[in-house]
Amino acid sequence: MSDVAPFTPAVRLSHLGDDVKTRIFEAALRVLADVGASVQHDEAVRLLQKAGCSLDSDGLVRVPRPAVERALSSAPNAFTLYDRDGAAAMELGGHNVYFGTGSDLMWQYDPHTGEHRPSRLDDIARVARVCEALPNMDFVMSGAYPTELDPRGVYAVTFLTMMRNCTKPLVIVAESEIDLGVIIDVAADVRGGRDQLRERPYFLAYVEPVSPLSHPAESVAKLLLCADAGVPVAYVPAPLLGATSPVSSAGHVVQGMAECLLGLVLHQHRAPGAPFMFGVNQGTLDMVSGQPSYAAVEGFMNYLTVVEMAKWLGLPNWGISGCTDSQAIDAQLGLEVGELTLLSMLLGSNLNHDVGFMGFGLTGALEEIVITDEFVSMNKKLLSGIPVQDEDLAVNVIAEVGPKGHYLRHPHTRRYLRKGPGQWRPRLLNRDNRDRWVECGGLDLREKARRKVQAILESEGPPTLDPVLLALAEERVAALKASPKVGSPS
Amino acid sequence: MSLFEDLKLNVEQGKKEAVLALVAQALDQGHSAQQILQQGLIAAMDIVGAKMEQEEMFIPEVLRAAKTMEAGLEILKPLLGVGDMQVSGKVVMGTVKGDLHDIGKNLVAMLLSSAGFEVIDLGINVAPAVFAQKAEETGADFLGMSALLTTTMPMMAATIEELEKAGLRGRVRVLIGGAPVTQAYADQIGADGYASDAGAAIKVAKELGALVA
Amino acid sequence: MSTTRHAIIEEIIEAVVEGEPEPVIAGVRRALEAGVDPETVLNDGLTAAMTSVGDMLDRGEVFIPDVLWSAEAMQEGLALLLPHLSEGASRSAGTVVLGTVQGDVHDIGKNFVGLMLSGAGFEVVDLGHDVTAEAFVEAVAEHGAGLLGMSAMLTTTMPVMSRTLQLLEARSLRSGVRVLVGGAPVTQSYADKIGADGWAIDATKAVAVAKELV
Repeated sequence: MSDVAPFTPAVRLSHLGDDVKTRIFEAALRVLADVGASVQHDEAVRLLQKAGCSLDSDGLVRVPRPAVERALSSAPNAFTLYDRDGAAAMELGGHNVYFGTGSDLMWQYDPHTGEHRPSRLDDIARVARVCEALPNMDFVMSGAYPTELDPRGVYAVTFLTMMRNCTKPLVIVAESEIDLGVIIDVAADVRGGRDQLRERPYFLAYVEPVSPLSHPAESVAKLLLCADAGVPVAYVPAPLLGATSPVSSAGHVVQGMAECLLGLVLHQHRAPGAPFMFGVNQGTLDMVSGQPSYAAVEGFMNYLTVVEMAKWLGLPNWGISGCTDSQAIDAQLGLEVGELTLLSMLLGSNLNHDVGFMGFGLTGALEEIVITDEFVSMNKKLLSGIPVQDEDLAVNVIAEVGPKGHYLRHPHTRRYLRKGPGQWRPRLLNRDNRDRWVECGGLDLREKARRKVQAILESEGPPTLDPVLLALAEERVAALKASPKVGSPS
Repeated sequence: MSLFEDLKLNVEQGKKEAVLALVAQALDQGHSAQQILQQGLIAAMDIVGAKMEQEEMFIPEVLRAAKTMEAGLEILKPLLGVGDMQVSGKVVMGTVKGDLHDIGKNLVAMLLSSAGFEVIDLGINVAPAVFAQKAEETGADFLGMSALLTTTMPMMAATIEELEKAGLRGRVRVLIGGAPVTQAYADQIGADGYASDAGAAIKVAKELGALVA
Repeated sequence: MSTTRHAIIEEIIEAVVEGEPEPVIAGVRRALEAGVDPETVLNDGLTAAMTSVGDMLDRGEVFIPDVLWSAEAMQEGLALLLPHLSEGASRSAGTVVLGTVQGDVHDIGKNFVGLMLSGAGFEVVDLGHDVTAEAFVEAVAEHGAGLLGMSAMLTTTMPVMSRTLQLLEARSLRSGVRVLVGGAPVTQSYADKIGADGWAIDATKAVAVAKELV
């Protein structure tokens, strides 16, 4: 369906048996049915009651097994995101793997000066430009929070900036159902109508409940609006291991699943079959410093389990890649980006956000996006598996060359390189010998990535948006900013 | 091991029953409440604070020690004179309106209270007017606000405005924090202090307290 | 040059770059029939194509086997062209005696250098691997080689290079031949120490150094 074949790993990682997955799921069901959750949205509580849930005297909503099972059976196993022009771009489901940035970073390493400074709106434009140019970045999330702007309507401004600077599908966050509504209106204008947007969703909305077991009114309202508009939504809690979820990995996943699945029940009851994305973020509280980590190994352990559970439930999943706890563009960054990204690819995790995140989700660096792109490219090759036809086994070729010969001139070698799988070539990683490397300036990976970022930013950007559409979008955003309903502290 | 060494060790290890017994025993032996507080409980929390900074203790252990210290303090309170219990200051705190994240705020509250602050925790989703009202009612020296969402940060500015309106801004020091909050933001909205984590929050509060005193 | 002639030269270049011997042969034949100066066919066609392929390898646009195939295709074209070239023009860039030193059976790097050198117009006498100092010296004398290339992949076999140089001195052949050494453990400082004339880190560099030396 998509214009580009999705990447699905032939080499896969799976470590949980069916019995273990059943135990985890059953435990999540017990949390939903016995512990319950706080749902701070009256209409949502009524909907949940209609779906078979109970609102008990302690004020908590309890969700019985049949309600969850019904939601799981109506939720789609896969859905597609389309680019700005309406072409299918991401088939989310199965083991298809996609990558993109994260949102709302407060700081940036300036791509020109290297200075660590507060994020600005032009950083969002740059993130979008860089993702647009990179073949292995499939979607764009803002990557930055425009700290210089009046916060009123800021996410609609962010959306507009992303839309202007790239054509790839977007993943968005919104403050409430009010600005989300405007973002949906703008996207519908781009598509030519609400129905067309439903047919060909341009973006996925990211919405978070609050762990433990709390569903704030704004989150629930956004979830319901997405259900109504047919806009794909990821309802993903972010429990912190040992702080807002049990310290045990399995307990973390059980609670996170219970939180996400309550959203699923509500969403599917409101709009059966509407596109929903499953996930549990993998934060870990460092128990000594109090710092929430993005790259703690315990978090990776939770992540493995969450993605496997998503496959088992048959839901497209929200994943994470390309991020680090390092404060510098250094070897730690390479190591952590590499490990998490490779895990996502081995797992067949569907939508992997947070590429370019550093320093616990507070700082962004465009270099990191470029480095991750190279890493993804390399591992698409690694995980594609080896063909083993007679031609590949090459017994004849081995016979023809024989002892003491060589294969460099054999037609088989050439055919394989020219017309067959070829050989993966780095675009950033070094393969120069010492002399040549020195001759070319002795650049390390950071500097090469920085230059690539510069080259992308200096190149021509994506095709501009239709000026009529742009004017209309700007008008909508201006109206939102002027609305008394937005950002008022009443 | 001397009685006080034993007491300190038990506070540090969060052994509440042992601490209660040791405090009672110290009183029986004729030590003053003031002495037990200073040489036992507060001395123990100083050790805990140092160990936390040295990354030798996990946060849950620190919290447990703080809870244990407070339990010991409860016994001493009726016996302490007015001048004996030097409160570092009174703090009204909460997570701002629209924000239901409270783990960071809870951590700061617990550490502040074990550092000798009197803490009035308003919980989560606290409106600017509520912050101002509680600050007035309690005669708070500090107002601590936490926000975990970029979307709720503006509530901090709104709360400061509310304090201004109520004529409280002069005596209440405002301290803010939370993942997306920065020193630059604190400066921008005119907060008095910003802390990047719970340990830093205590330090900033103490510095601000010294400025006030 | 007329457009047709120009087009034929372009075709030869493309065929060499593609590493297809038949179109190269056909192109050379057509060029000769069309009356293109054989030296032009050599310089602007075959040699220019190989320079271009070398550059492409440098930029990572082709693989090593592609270069070897190009060199081979070029050789086929050259064989057809040789009888038509004047004495001066047909003289090769020089004769190179090449081999992997005694005790060492690694010859993939040496083979590659050999192919690249012949692609660059050198006449290559490849002695294979496990070549003794005596055999190198005899071959130099026999072929009147202007260049001797030695390869070693083992630190244990590197001393054969030094021994060969001493033997060249002893036979009073040293002044007539430039000596080029290479191989993974071989360095510029080793080359200097044993008194070799040149060292190359890889095959592409070897061609450049060889051209400088002769």
